[in-house]
Amino acid sequence: MTNPPEEEFQSKINFDLWRRIFRFALNHKRLLIPLAASAIVLSLIDAAYPIITMMAVDIVHNGGVAKDLIPPALLFLGLSVTLAALVYVFIRCAGGISHHIAYDIKRDCFKRLQELEFAFYDKQPTGWLISRLTADCDRLSRIMAWGFLDVMWGSFFVFAMTITMLIINWKLALIVLATLPPLIAISVYFQKRMLLTSRLIRKHNARITASYNEGIAGVKTTKTLGRETENLNEFEGMSEDMYSASVRRAFLSAVYLPLVMLIGSVGSGLALWYGGLDVLDETISLGVLVAFISYAGNFFHPINQIATILAEIQGAQAAGERVMSLLATEPKIKDSPEVLQKIAQRSAELQPATPLQDPSTQIATLAIDGYATHINEIQFADVTFSYNEKEQVLKRFNLTVKRGQTIALVGPSGGGKSTIVSLVSRFYEPDSGEVRLNGTDYRQRSLEWLQGQLGIVLQTPHLFNGSVKENIRYGRLEATDEEIRDAAQLVNAHDFIMKLENGYDTTIGEGGARLSTGERQLISFARALIANPQIFIMDEATSSIDTETEKLIQDGMQRVFDGRISFVIAHRLSTIRSADQILVINKGEIEEQGTHQELLANRGHYYELYVNQFRREGETLAIEEAG
Amino acid sequence: MSLKLHNDAGETLSGPKLVWQLIAGYRSMYLWAALALFISTSFQFIIPLIGSATIDYVLTEPEAGKTANSSPLLRYVMDLIGGEELVSTRLWIPLIAMVIFAALGGLFNYYQKLAAAKASDGICKRMKDQLYDHIQRLTNRYLDHDTQTGDLVQRCTSDVETTRIFLAAHVVEIGRSVILVLTVLPIMLSMHVGLTIASLGLLPIIILYSYLYIKKVKHLFTEVDEAEGRLTSLVQENITGIRVVRAFGRHDYEIEKFEKPNSEYRDTSLKLINTMSWFWSISDIVSLTQIGIALIASAYLAIQGSVSVGTIFAFLALINMVLWPVRMIGRILTDFGKTSVALKRINEILTQPFETETDDISCKPDTAAQGSIELDQVSFSHSSDSKTVEDISLSVSPGETLAILGPSGSGKTTLMHLLLRFYDCDSGTIKLDGNDIKTLDRSYLRAQFGVVLQEPFLYSRSIRSNIQFGVSQANQIEIEEAARMACIHDTIQTFTDGYETEIGEKGITLSGGQRQRVAISRALLRNPPILLLDDALSAVDNETESSIIQALQSRRGKSTTIVIAHRLSTLAHADKIVVLEGGRITQFGTHKTLTEEDGLYQRLWNIQTKLEETLAAETQR
Repeated sequence: MTNPPEEEFQSKINFDLWRRIFRFALNHKRLLIPLAASAIVLSLIDAAYPIITMMAVDIVHNGGVAKDLIPPALLFLGLSVTLAALVYVFIRCAGGISHHIAYDIKRDCFKRLQELEFAFYDKQPTGWLISRLTADCDRLSRIMAWGFLDVMWGSFFVFAMTITMLIINWKLALIVLATLPPLIAISVYFQKRMLLTSRLIRKHNARITASYNEGIAGVKTTKTLGRETENLNEFEGMSEDMYSASVRRAFLSAVYLPLVMLIGSVGSGLALWYGGLDVLDETISLGVLVAFISYAGNFFHPINQIATILAEIQGAQAAGERVMSLLATEPKIKDSPEVLQKIAQRSAELQPATPLQDPSTQIATLAIDGYATHINEIQFADVTFSYNEKEQVLKRFNLTVKRGQTIALVGPSGGGKSTIVSLVSRFYEPDSGEVRLNGTDYRQRSLEWLQGQLGIVLQTPHLFNGSVKENIRYGRLEATDEEIRDAAQLVNAHDFIMKLENGYDTTIGEGGARLSTGERQLISFARALIANPQIFIMDEATSSIDTETEKLIQDGMQRVFDGRISFVIAHRLSTIRSADQILVINKGEIEEQGTHQELLANRGHYYELYVNQFRREGETLAIEEAG
Repeated sequence: MSLKLHNDAGETLSGPKLVWQLIAGYRSMYLWAALALFISTSFQFIIPLIGSATIDYVLTEPEAGKTANSSPLLRYVMDLIGGEELVSTRLWIPLIAMVIFAALGGLFNYYQKLAAAKASDGICKRMKDQLYDHIQRLTNRYLDHDTQTGDLVQRCTSDVETTRIFLAAHVVEIGRSVILVLTVLPIMLSMHVGLTIASLGLLPIIILYSYLYIKKVKHLFTEVDEAEGRLTSLVQENITGIRVVRAFGRHDYEIEKFEKPNSEYRDTSLKLINTMSWFWSISDIVSLTQIGIALIASAYLAIQGSVSVGTIFAFLALINMVLWPVRMIGRILTDFGKTSVALKRINEILTQPFETETDDISCKPDTAAQGSIELDQVSFSHSSDSKTVEDISLSVSPGETLAILGPSGSGKTTLMHLLLRFYDCDSGTIKLDGNDIKTLDRSYLRAQFGVVLQEPFLYSRSIRSNIQFGVSQANQIEIEEAARMACIHDTIQTFTDGYETEIGEKGITLSGGQRQRVAISRALLRNPPILLLDDALSAVDNETESSIIQALQSRRGKSTTIVIAHRLSTLAHADKIVVLEGGRITQFGTHKTLTEEDGLYQRLWNIQTKLEETLAAETQR
């Protein structure tokens, strides 16, 4: 279900971006410093091995005795033990950094995601966000740690070999080094090509997976359309594309490796040629020649590593930009500095109060922002709102709701009903005009406080994977089991919960998969109620709920709405009928407003809606009763 | 050719036999790859030998007396590149020789890689195609009851991927290692037997060590995967439910909840890293010891005078070429079991019978059906304990409209599935134009129907292709006409890309009603003798519903229509109405007769009266 990660490749490296990302690694200096140190020492050791060979060859060549071999043998042993120890250190450090960074970036991203407003989520599809938080973060942390190691090791290795060769014999060194530029150019070119092809393969693979999904989910439709052969042909086209891309990837690596090996043998051959002449002239020893031949062949590995990392950095740059821009996204809806100041003031006022005095008596009258806690009235004053520049959803909307009233919002979908409740909840803020609580613009109130006063039941209620109890407790984390039970009883959920296998401790599966829509709505109803909210918002389910559960919900609703300000996006007749005020919302405007009787008498849009709904409910009921 | 991964008894093969069957059709390609690899390795091994020979015969002074100990192989190599007299005055000859052998080795290496890739990817492509083909032709009993979509997709993707990695990476790697060792052994042995043993002696230990070690810590890899899975599903759940999180202001709680799987993933990963750092560190020291032994032993032997200086050089170079690839074998071997499991799961799908497998007679008339349908005492059950539909007899003449009404679970959809032969009835007969549908070719039978399923399936591509499906030669005018009849043309026109608008993941999401209407236009475009609508207007609003019904009415006489519906407005226009309850026909008649008969239909009819009464009462109040 996750979207395939986006596949971009940027050839220009944005150093500033990577510096910012690298800051995550700098937080783990305890690991980063040993990593850098081990990479450097490791490269020096790797560069030293041919020298041992040189020593041994010279000993043999100069007619040494067996005892003379002890120093090189010991040196070899010493270097090898050190190398193994360093390998241990760098794997631990690089792995450690990689996973610590992954942890840090994910934590920060996750935190940021919890703070962002609804508008952000409207624009970003769920799957897209999930890949940012998983694939992108993992990729960046891997590059930070292992890429850092490879670049350090690779560049120091090349550097150390170059210096060693120059010291031993600079002329021969320059001849061998002449093979470096083509080696680098070829490596960079092929690593980039191979990375791009690998991505192409992944893309084709994602398409194939999607095609299987579609093929299986739509198998009946395919059969009725008799489209099996065409589908198979199309699928074969896709698998053919994947095949070609895979073979192309193999082709690239089949050309790349022989090419660099050819360059390596040119280097060795050159060393043998010029070095051989020097050996014959006795300007260098045989051991030096052997060492140079080894060096000539050793350049491939570090350069290949660096080229790979370079390609990966270019390939991951887009991911880096996405993650960093997510972290840089500031929530648009948050408390203003003035409100924050008031909250600070208020908590300062509360602190010095005599410790013996019960603080709850103070809280009861005033909220954390210093205003009254009771919401007696909500008022929309000339509210205009749009999700995007193109079309306005609400135009100069006015409405006043008093405590104890229930407002039913009816009308066609997309007309602006849910916008009104989202504005009440301050998930969005008006473009112009004000939403007032007791006459005060809610932007002057604490966001956290307001949202603490809301009880919301969504149309397709999202429940979390966990027990029934945990899901209800989500509404008020400190609620006791008893309170949970009470809330469930009040909304008529208790009986069906008790019928579940483990009662309140029954786990409900991902998204509440093991429950019916109606049952899910009952649980989310209890969840909303347990916080004892002053404002209750309910979006009735449009999909059919069995009559039994439907009755329970209806019944629960009446009890819950009592004494609160309630907004219901209503579809059921009984809900609509019992509302204090009905708003027919169409195309962002209140088309009709009034009580059920008044609106029926109007014979307008509401009348039509009512008649249709009456028939629908009646038919559904009649047919269900027959079953 | 098709893949057969099981023996005649139907059991999935295992071990080498399984691999042998898996690579059927590509065996010769693998053989060529192995041969090319062998040649390429041989060439590559010669390169350091050229250096050795040059050292021994040209660069070492003959009076040092070491040349005599050079091996016959190096002697041969020296002769191959022209002999020491020639080379000693022209030291560029070894360079040229090295480049030539490197180029030749590279060429064959290229052939080997390409051949191996073509074989591995070809096998996987074949497997995927076959799976896709097979799935489309499986019986509905299997698809609906014996399996789940997620599991099927999993098998077709991850299990195939496991196989692909096995073929493309593991088989090739192991083949390479075996050929490397087999090629290097005679070369080394010809130079010095004792030194060969000293140089390769630790190799089996390294392989065994990595096999045992990785096998022992395998569970850690699984733990990391599981921890990652938990983290991902928490993120997924949180983001899907972010509106609930925001509605309850629970961000702190969620951040705290996230902490646990996030740190668990980190900590299990670190545990794995620690374990693996021991593994690599030990593996490295053993490998380096092997090189050290070779170096010192060869130097020692050279001092003793039993090998030449060139031999030291040759052994070191050869070991370096063999050691690093071969030490991976042990690790690869631990993955073998995974592939068998994956192939077994794939084979379970491939051994499922096709739905046509039991068909004995396939009659395929040349002309389209007239559209008369006759059911005679049809009974069917999904399981043995209860009948889903029982003793259904009814007939529809060409051009007639039959409406089926009934509560959920009464067998309406099953009846439809029987007509389309998604299932075959247990007893009784269903006839199309007088022919028992069991004797008709399935694709012919289905081609006679335009079907709109209860939850219509649209493919994720353009609206045009969705409507055009099955009638590829339809032109724009016909498509628009079908869309107009289904009252979706105007909606499509409002989309920026019109008929080219993509539906699904990459494009827009249509509402339930819109999906139904696209599916209806798709069915209408086929201009089928029989139209089957399974509750196809349930998500469409009343106004649209009545205009679609009107459009369908105007087609009356053209095609037989069978419609399953819950609303009086849809039902009332039918020529015949059947009420289905508990799998049986409880009422049969027309709108006129059924309104006068006590039963479900009448109760629906009475709602209208009730509505009028209510309206009267409520407006009076």
